[in-house]
Amino acid sequence: MLNLTHWEIGPIFRALMRNKTGAILIAIQIAVTMTIIVNAIFIISERQKLMARDSGVDEANSFYLSSSSFGEDFNTEVTAAEDLAMIRQTPGVIDAMQINAIPMSGGGWSMSLQTKAGDDIDGTGAAVYMVDEHFLKTLDVDVIAGEPFTLTDIRLRKGSSTDWPDKTIITKSMAETLYPDEPWHSVVGKTVYINNNEPMIITGIIDQLQAPWIGWDGVERVMLSPERLEFTSYRYFIRTEVGKRDELMPQIEEMLANSNKKRLIRDVRSMQETRERSYRQHSAMITILGTVMIVLTVVTGLGIVGLASFSVNRRKKQIGTRRALGASQQAILRYFMLENFIISSAGVVLGAVLTVGLNIWLVKAFELNTLDWYLVPAGMVSLWIVGQLAVFGPAKRAAAIPPALATRTV
Amino acid sequence: MLKMHSIKKVFRTDLVETHALNDFNLEVKEGEFVAVTGPSGSGKTTFLNIAGLLETFNQGQYILDNTDVSNLNDNQRSRIRNEKIGFIFQSFNLIPDLNLFDNVDVPLRYRGFNAADRKQRIEQSLERVGLQNRMQHLPSQLSGGQQQRVAIARALAGEPRFLLADEPTGNLDTKMAQSVLELLQEINQQGTTIVMVTHDGSLAAQAKRNVYVRDGKVSELHDVSDNISNVANVVNA
Amino acid sequence: MFSYYLRLALLSIKRNPILSGLMITAIALGIGASMTTITINYLMSANPIPEKSQQLFYVQVDSWNPYEAFDEPNEPPNQITWTESQNFMRDATAFRQTAIASSNAVIEPQDQDSKPFMSSIRLAYSDFFSMFNVPFLYGNGWQAAEDNDRALVVVLSRKTNDTLFGGENSVGRTVRIAAKDFKVIGVLDNWEPIPKFYDLTTDEFGSPEDIFMPFTLKEALELNNGGNTNCWKSPEGEGFKSFLLSECVNYQMWVELRSEQEKQDYLNYLHNYVAEQKTMGRFAREQNNRLSDVMQWLKINEVVADDAQIMLWLSLMFLLVCLLNTIGLLLAKFSGKTAEISLRRAVGASKSDLFYQHLVETACIGIAGGIAGLGLALIGLQGIKALYGEFADKVTSLDMNLVIIAIILALVSSIGAGLYPTWRICKIEPASQLKDQ
Repeated sequence: MLNLTHWEIGPIFRALMRNKTGAILIAIQIAVTMTIIVNAIFIISERQKLMARDSGVDEANSFYLSSSSFGEDFNTEVTAAEDLAMIRQTPGVIDAMQINAIPMSGGGWSMSLQTKAGDDIDGTGAAVYMVDEHFLKTLDVDVIAGEPFTLTDIRLRKGSSTDWPDKTIITKSMAETLYPDEPWHSVVGKTVYINNNEPMIITGIIDQLQAPWIGWDGVERVMLSPERLEFTSYRYFIRTEVGKRDELMPQIEEMLANSNKKRLIRDVRSMQETRERSYRQHSAMITILGTVMIVLTVVTGLGIVGLASFSVNRRKKQIGTRRALGASQQAILRYFMLENFIISSAGVVLGAVLTVGLNIWLVKAFELNTLDWYLVPAGMVSLWIVGQLAVFGPAKRAAAIPPALATRTV
Repeated sequence: MLKMHSIKKVFRTDLVETHALNDFNLEVKEGEFVAVTGPSGSGKTTFLNIAGLLETFNQGQYILDNTDVSNLNDNQRSRIRNEKIGFIFQSFNLIPDLNLFDNVDVPLRYRGFNAADRKQRIEQSLERVGLQNRMQHLPSQLSGGQQQRVAIARALAGEPRFLLADEPTGNLDTKMAQSVLELLQEINQQGTTIVMVTHDGSLAAQAKRNVYVRDGKVSELHDVSDNISNVANVVNA
Repeated sequence: MFSYYLRLALLSIKRNPILSGLMITAIALGIGASMTTITINYLMSANPIPEKSQQLFYVQVDSWNPYEAFDEPNEPPNQITWTESQNFMRDATAFRQTAIASSNAVIEPQDQDSKPFMSSIRLAYSDFFSMFNVPFLYGNGWQAAEDNDRALVVVLSRKTNDTLFGGENSVGRTVRIAAKDFKVIGVLDNWEPIPKFYDLTTDEFGSPEDIFMPFTLKEALELNNGGNTNCWKSPEGEGFKSFLLSECVNYQMWVELRSEQEKQDYLNYLHNYVAEQKTMGRFAREQNNRLSDVMQWLKINEVVADDAQIMLWLSLMFLLVCLLNTIGLLLAKFSGKTAEISLRRAVGASKSDLFYQHLVETACIGIAGGIAGLGLALIGLQGIKALYGEFADKVTSLDMNLVIIAIILALVSSIGAGLYPTWRICKIEPASQLKDQ
């Protein structure tokens, strides 16, 4: 039976207005708690979105290492050819190649490409990966338009080289940014300019590959340059069969270290570790905010329990009287639940305002995104539930107060 | 109206067992004004609590307004308290955070009357105790006598057949006490059965009938009223 | 009287163990969370060289692309070109100055059993050590003559000296770096400026480099580029030399200026320098020369991580919730004492006596909460260290200042929280609660 007479909203509200302090304290607590929780949830979800992005390579089964030569007369070209032949023959290796930088790792090269030649033309930044004809299998990418590089496309790049090959393969995202008005597959065959004036022909488009910088807004903009590297320091990127990575990492490290004593093999690292290191600050933030949310909810909950218990104790006689006047146990329970609901409602309404306010400030001060609107009502409902759960115990105790208390002289 | 037969009430703690009421028998007829007196510890308050369905008892039978209320559950008892009994307490038991209107409203809410009905009853009963102009006041703004009048208005608003008063003048000075008593007598004359528990002999003397409780039993009974049937005639008239 | 109040306070705390426990926990959690984030922010924004941070200036000139600023709206590049480094050092118009850069090279230990390892290099001029008050354990830095002569001399960090020479005084000994034999002329004592202010381009909270050598060896030994290299136009021609002569920026410039006059003189020098370069076809952008002292430079580089600041603000709001909680619980607790208080008033306690008594009680709760909060902050900092790993090592240690801040914060906030409940309770009239209500 829904009879509003039983819902003593008016009297509860008027009684609250005569005893504001406790109610205001709880309402502000709920408001601030909601503000923190909703913004924390939002930040967490944003970070999770970042972390859920795919780097494009076979992260679970790939690793890389650096080779740095020292001493004079070191022939990088010959060593790299020998190294790669050895690595590719190793059982369990799917493919391997030299590369200048690693997706997600934080360090790499970027160049600007422009669709017209000229010093004063704005370009579009792209991360550069220097790869050979093995890149398809090694990086686990697909050429979705045009052709992959062939052996004859690959040139040798020296540490001091400043010019570029005449072919490039770019990601679909890069193609769409360079030519926003054309379908991405029609970009194959077009000429773009690097270093303002140096032409490169786009010979292929790959589906997806991330730049080395996870915080860059152009993280999906990548160009591949067909080059072997004659640098004193460079990396090998190695992709293994499923489950073979961990056993191959030390094996290949040792093999390379023993094959040539005039170089240093270092920074042997899996893509999985690279992801963990690069996203560490985000996963840390998620853990911290998650902990804060839980602790805060518990604190607020306990605060409500404490104040509600106090208010029940203070009103024992009143509750006994109400029982004597005919209130059932449910009516008493309902009274305290409803009272808390009214306080919480004031809290969550103020909380909604503060939540949006904090978000606006975070957007301004820290360039965060704007809050998803539905988080605000979701936060309000959650805090209502927290309040109701917290007050249930004290309300239950209030309901258990015997009506005979009314005749006792306290 | 009220009929108690062989009521037994025992309070147990780990150490002692106290017989608060033992073989307690009492009958109150419709329209009576009964004063229950007795020394402290005699079982007056226990009687009051049981009569008002505020407490259960261990043995015996209690019939209120032709209903056996001995074995009702908590909700049923609440319902009966709400519908049939009006309470008046020694310390008034008004709710300090509510104004007079809301105070009188409390039992009516539990009764489930609609808003217009409630408003009418509240205004009427406050008018009856002469406080219709103070509806927005808080209890703390009134004198003790006025507070007890509010409590009486609260007890009357639901038009109970039976009024249970616990030392209704215990916290009042003589003058105020007298006016409250007169109010009760007036209410009784209009047909409401009243049972008043008090230790004050002079107050009890003004009731129509006195019941003396001692050691958990009704030990003495003497009529001060002329004739019960006369009262009944008044009601019927 | 104080000890009497103290005894009363402890009694009162004991009488309500759950309520008191809740309050202490609430304060401890709030203090713990805020002290954790305050510590991180405090250490991140610390002055790494307080004794002369206002005399050390980072130099920026705008050699960038005529069509596009280095950074919006019109920021000059955050580093300088090789050309500028050479010219500024040649002119040497400041009291002290050094161009610096980072690089790396392989060290081959003489001991045949030890494997070669990669070491990070700080390339610097001789003034570097005196400008930045770098402490020496053995020997000294090199002199201007060695800068000019491109001498193969090296200063080792203490850690590198431990690795190579087992911590002995290695001055005068030889180390093979980048396939050349270097003479050790100094070993640093522990030196960990936080943040690593002299080069913020990478790893602001990292350690100083493993070895230090003359900047001029960059050209002589063709040492590779560490840190960030930014170019707005490609080097003209092949080879190391053409890279050095390019418009690529990879070097940092610091000057020490002792007065406002010296600063003005140096700005004038920069103005004239740029004007002169313009006549030679460089510096196509407008004059945009900057001198930033250490703290300004840290601020420009936003050394304090956004996440750390967000956490700071959230934790302060957390503290607010905990304090509101405490206020509520104190109100509850004190209102349970109305009878006692009116009795005390009746027997002659003045309002200020009562106020004092309850303030002592709140302060006790505050101190207990503060101490527990410090413990929680230590745990919190360990947690942060575990979550962030090596990146957070330097910014997660409590020092004495922070301990004092924590206690003061706990006291101020708990007494602040106690004021209103205390004030309310002191309004109780004597004996008003003595009779039956």
